[in-house]
Amino acid sequence: MRLAAALVLAAAVAAAFTPRIEVAAAAAAAALVAAWRLDRGAVRAVARFSLVLGVAFAAAVAAAAVAWSSGLAPGLRVGGTVLLRLVVLAVAASVVARKVDVERLLRAAERLGLERLGLLLGLSLNALPHLTHTATTVWTAHRLRSGGRWRSMRRLPELAEVLLAHTARVADRAAAAAALRGHTALIRVTAPITTTARIVVVTGRPGGGKTPVVAAAAEELGRRGIRVVGFLQPAVVEDGRKVGFELRDAATGETAELARRVEAGEGMHGTSFVFAQAGFELGRRALAAAAPGVVLVVDEIGPVELRGGGHWPAVRRALAVSGVRGAVVVVRRALVPSLLVALDATDAVVVDLEDPDVDDPVAAIVNTLIFNS
Amino acid sequence: MTDLRPWTAAALYGALWGAMEATAGTALHLGRVPLRGEIMGLLGLLCLVCLRRLQPRVGVVLTAGVVAIFLKVFTLGGLYPGPLVGIALQALAVELAFLVAPGPWAAALGGAVALGTNPVQRVITAWILGGTEAATAVLRAVGELGGVDPVVVLGAAVGLAAALGAVGGALAWRLAGRVRRRLGGGS
Repeated sequence: MRLAAALVLAAAVAAAFTPRIEVAAAAAAAALVAAWRLDRGAVRAVARFSLVLGVAFAAAVAAAAVAWSSGLAPGLRVGGTVLLRLVVLAVAASVVARKVDVERLLRAAERLGLERLGLLLGLSLNALPHLTHTATTVWTAHRLRSGGRWRSMRRLPELAEVLLAHTARVADRAAAAAALRGHTALIRVTAPITTTARIVVVTGRPGGGKTPVVAAAAEELGRRGIRVVGFLQPAVVEDGRKVGFELRDAATGETAELARRVEAGEGMHGTSFVFAQAGFELGRRALAAAAPGVVLVVDEIGPVELRGGGHWPAVRRALAVSGVRGAVVVVRRALVPSLLVALDATDAVVVDLEDPDVDDPVAAIVNTLIFNS
Repeated sequence: MTDLRPWTAAALYGALWGAMEATAGTALHLGRVPLRGEIMGLLGLLCLVCLRRLQPRVGVVLTAGVVAIFLKVFTLGGLYPGPLVGIALQALAVELAFLVAPGPWAAALGGAVALGTNPVQRVITAWILGGTEAATAVLRAVGELGGVDPVVVLGAAVGLAAALGAVGGALAWRLAGRVRRRLGGGS
């Protein structure tokens, strides 16, 4: 019954735009009946005074304009047609607006093979209250700071700049969040890295000791005669506070600044850090030493890399080297699914430092690379 | 791997545009504010040019237009075709302009075409809602008000709107540059 009503409503929208006013009248009646069956609240919402007034005003203007140019009878006919068409459109929009739901939208988009579009529309719906709230806050702050209507008007470009920049930051954060949740529709892998190297993914909570574990594993592999290339990203700590990261070449020990923490909202790529090109350059050189038989160390892969930036191109080139024995890749736990998709590595070994079953993570890494390669 | 940040940016800028259409656009419409179409057109242009300067990728502007239309539909009376036609034409104009011209010139060209279609768009909306008679009535009314040939009046309106759009597009490009510097992306 609900499906029939929905079909009648859709047919009414189409029929309302046929040239005959009688058909438009029938379409309006059918739309109202169908909407009443589907959602009585939607019909009541259309009956709001301001909306009725707006529809009547538009119809009256159309009638007056046509009556003025072509005579009273055509004017009344066109006015009536406009009125009926607007009623149908308002009723249909009201029903659709009350039924919209992000999850339902995503499911419908998936069924149509438009998952990415569905995600983007869902994202826009989710972001709407946030953007509206931000715009209101920015406007209020702008008015208070400006002191006077004229001064506030002169500073409108500054207001627009703040709002547009904020929107870009939210977009970056949304992309990172999508990667964190493993939304493969938004982090589509057009060409996943295919490698024969044994992949060991090291994960755990932030500050949980991933870098020291990987450094110890690299040392142990070196003691056993296996050459290790790549990089580590130890945190830079000042006065007990993590203020950034440096990048250290695992083979040569050379270091360079990679990232520095900045004030909230001033970071790059939706993070609270600004990045130094020198760090990426050293990482690229460290990975360029990849050769047959070596083990790669990549500490670490983040949302930026999973969107194709940062260290990712260098990682891709290193893993493409034929005969690479294995790779130890550090990643936050939430990014593990996305990383596995990006590496096309369904047989990777995941060493989770929080897993109580992993007594000795260093041994787990080393043994995987020595005995299972 | 494809960097899909351009698409999340398109969604967010489309949402911003849609939100402005649903709030400021509705307020201007109900208040019968003169030049409301041009004001909303300039705001939309600002969003689109900024998006294209930050994410120079083909298709992002059209995607933002689709998102804005989607959000506009889900406001009461949102199926009223005028603003929907306007949003679609504007996104299409700016997208095409950036395909055929470089940077600031594309912004100015896109702005000129986007706003230049505004007067014509009113005739199109009248035709959709009221048929040929209503569209003719709009043209006749315009002509009689000015006392000259309606086509001349319409042409003059298109020219003025296009000039406004070109200036608006160029200014939007400059503002987008400031936004990019604020985000740490250089000049």
